Amino acid sequence: MSSSPRKRSASDVILIAILVISMAALVVGALANGFWDVMFPPEAVTRQGREIRSLYDIVFWIAVVIFVVVEGLIVYSVIRYWRKPGQDELPVQTHGHNLLEIVWTVVPTLIVGYLFVISFQTLTSIDAVAKSPDIHIRAVAQQFRWTYDYLAEDGVTVLFTEEVATADLGGGMHVPVGANVQLQLTSPDVIHAFYVPKFLFKRDVVPGITNVFDFTIDPVEAGQTFGGQCAELCGTGHRVMLLDVVAMTPDDYEAWKAAKIEQANATPPPKPSDGPVSATLELTAKDIKYDVKSLEVVADQPFAIHFTNADPASVPHDVDLRTGDGTVVSDEATIDGGTDTTYTFAGLAAGTYTYICSVHPFPDMTGTLTVK
Amino acid sequence: MATTTLHPAAATTYRSSLYEWLTTTDHKKIGILYIVNSLLFFFVGGILALVVRAELAAPGLQFLTDESIYNQAFTMHASVMLFLFVIPILAGFGNYAVPLMIGAPDMAFPRINAMSFWMLPLAGIILMSGFVLGGAAAAGWTSYPPLTEDRVLGSTGPGQDLWITGVILIGTSSILGAINFLVTIFKMRAPGMTLFRMPIMAWTVLVTSVLVLMATPVITSALIMLFIDRNLGGHFFDPSTGGNAVLYQNVFWFYSHPAVYVMVLPAMGIISEVLPVFSRKPLFGYKAFVFATAGIGALGFSVWAHHMFTTGAVFLPFFSLMTFLIAVPTGVKMFNWIFTLVRGQLTFSTPLLFALGFLSMFLIGGINGAFSASVPVDYAIHDTYWVVAHLHYVLFGGSAFGVFAGLYYWFPKMTGRMLDETLGKIQFVLMFIGFNLTFFPMHALGLQGMPRRIADYASGAGWNDLNMAATIGGFIIGISMLPFLWNVLVSLRSGAVAGDDPWEGNTLEWATTSPPPPYNFDRLPDIRSERPVFDQRHGHGAGGHK
Repeated sequence: MSSSPRKRSASDVILIAILVISMAALVVGALANGFWDVMFPPEAVTRQGREIRSLYDIVFWIAVVIFVVVEGLIVYSVIRYWRKPGQDELPVQTHGHNLLEIVWTVVPTLIVGYLFVISFQTLTSIDAVAKSPDIHIRAVAQQFRWTYDYLAEDGVTVLFTEEVATADLGGGMHVPVGANVQLQLTSPDVIHAFYVPKFLFKRDVVPGITNVFDFTIDPVEAGQTFGGQCAELCGTGHRVMLLDVVAMTPDDYEAWKAAKIEQANATPPPKPSDGPVSATLELTAKDIKYDVKSLEVVADQPFAIHFTNADPASVPHDVDLRTGDGTVVSDEATIDGGTDTTYTFAGLAAGTYTYICSVHPFPDMTGTLTVK
Repeated sequence: MATTTLHPAAATTYRSSLYEWLTTTDHKKIGILYIVNSLLFFFVGGILALVVRAELAAPGLQFLTDESIYNQAFTMHASVMLFLFVIPILAGFGNYAVPLMIGAPDMAFPRINAMSFWMLPLAGIILMSGFVLGGAAAAGWTSYPPLTEDRVLGSTGPGQDLWITGVILIGTSSILGAINFLVTIFKMRAPGMTLFRMPIMAWTVLVTSVLVLMATPVITSALIMLFIDRNLGGHFFDPSTGGNAVLYQNVFWFYSHPAVYVMVLPAMGIISEVLPVFSRKPLFGYKAFVFATAGIGALGFSVWAHHMFTTGAVFLPFFSLMTFLIAVPTGVKMFNWIFTLVRGQLTFSTPLLFALGFLSMFLIGGINGAFSASVPVDYAIHDTYWVVAHLHYVLFGGSAFGVFAGLYYWFPKMTGRMLDETLGKIQFVLMFIGFNLTFFPMHALGLQGMPRRIADYASGAGWNDLNMAATIGGFIIGISMLPFLWNVLVSLRSGAVAGDDPWEGNTLEWATTSPPPPYNFDRLPDIRSERPVFDQRHGHGAGGHK
């Protein structure tokens, strides 16, 4: 029969010391580095987000109190009730205590009851959907990008479509501050989620269902851009499904919107003349991948790319040209899966360019075009 | 004095020990097979986790240039850890301990027991074979359609079908195991072993088996429907052809939330055995604990949609209320465990350390889960790293710490030899620190907006330091497994001889030899309480009642 440790041995003391000191170091180090702040969500920028933040703060502080009390009780018991040398008599064999059981059933029930009630009150407020909001926008999420249809007051007619999801490429969902914006969410393919951390909010974009929610950005936020991204795994390009919300003053917004409508109604400029081309290159997309990752053409000579989309009909692709710094040289129309087209391009100066699918802007659908 | 006189006829022909292990129907050997198989998959799942953490250590795609590999890594990490580690290893402890604890010679259906085990390595091979057959499952362990409907859109190869097949097989194994446990517990208890004298471990396995039996057929049906959609032109979950994408989530979580309790209740059972033994006191509030266990089991069936608050297709108040309420029986257990320690005489052996790790970490997993019960707060944290933190505090801080408490506690019974205490404590310290360093920063990452399941993030997002901390912690957890492996290897050969009852245990497994003979007992002590071996050692009612 082997003897298990029965005494408060030196190694036990060292062990407990290591644990206590390392945990204390973690806590102190974390606090000193501003860790406390990151245990809170960012300051909300919408009316709804601020309500969620207030609720979070209440839940958080109740959680902290419960944690400190219960964890403290554990640590206290561990330190206090160590088996001392020479303690051979059994401790009192306590089997339970009915009053205590009732107390620690009833008190937690009251706490969670309170949390449920305040959560439900906040929920009613933030999930409220206005009958006639100031702005109707429909966000369409698809693998792997967001587009925004700006709708007329009927919430159905499309005025224009913002094709570019992020501000760094000149796009983003532009909205006026102080206005009740109603966002409809639709997806033609798989489930996505619209998530903006500074809204403290996300809502799934479920194919077959149109989810709707309202938000109002605080007036002080005019001029700010809020980043977000898809929060529901949607395939290999999930992480590139970024989006921006651009908050504008109402005047700026009206000017932006007017320009967009005008642009949408204008006839598209004629393509550069489809003169004789020096070369026609072959490119195929299949399984959301280009089959050829590098192409070569002669400088200053018009050329063409015969592009085949071999993916299913629901997967659109295109071939855009960009310079090394991301400037768009040529923005081509997408084609559906199972079709092909020939894109023609004017002659380019010698150098290295990137050809990329604007629907799937990630490495599998990017290649290098060398012009010399 | 009750005695069992079941002795097998002596084997007349010599059989190699390999043959013996491959064909055994002895619940103890099958239990050990479960545990060893689960630990092998624990290391596979752990390596996949380190792949994920290594990729996320810094912004930029470092060594997984193909994102679909990243998606396979986290999908298979979760699938392996849940279906091939946590669930089966706890079933393994149940297999080993429950018949011994209730004074039974074996499980009720020994051959079915062997079959339920052998389905697991087969399912594991099927699940993993995707890696060499064109890509493993890559749509998350939840495998939501329509992403899983279309191979191109989801970039899921044959791995998804292999995944479905493997998980259905594991589910079938669980169902068979659950029936076996229920019959064993209801029909094979020794004389005197009334239900309310059963060890809590047996109670948790009983409730777990009921959950498995009621919930597992439901996910099986969901997976069969998904398989039909994928391969036979079905339209259950494809909205473009009249199906309903959210239907799958309802059916999936109707299993998978109760499954969380399948993954944690037996671990609660383990520490409910360890804490009294190393405190030298009975479990505080035995009956309250049993009712709380049953309450968790019952409430567990009414909270599934809290995984779906953001779908916009759920009746929110009901599921929010029920999710808050399930904290109550969990809290009752927590206080009962703590008051088992109070006024005890604590001996800090490795099993107790891991049990205390369970208490202090599962507490965090319970508290941070309550945030998600509040629907508006869930809108902020759902599908972010907060949720990753939460589930690991429950399943690693809870279940895995409980598993190691059980390993150190029953290893002497299983092998006849003690594990080394110093190596055990080194493992515990490394694991405890590594665990917190990995998963605590994830709360902050989630609050600052980092979604789950992304292969990369922008360097300007402010997530760099926290991710680096989590990665370092992950590798510390990995390192903490080395002293454990070394400990097992060395102790099997040259560990101190354990004897029948090295810990001064309470329950019947300590009344037989280590390891126990086939059919377990030559004779049983009287069973007058939930601690028959304590009663035998000290006399019934020793130490003063209160």
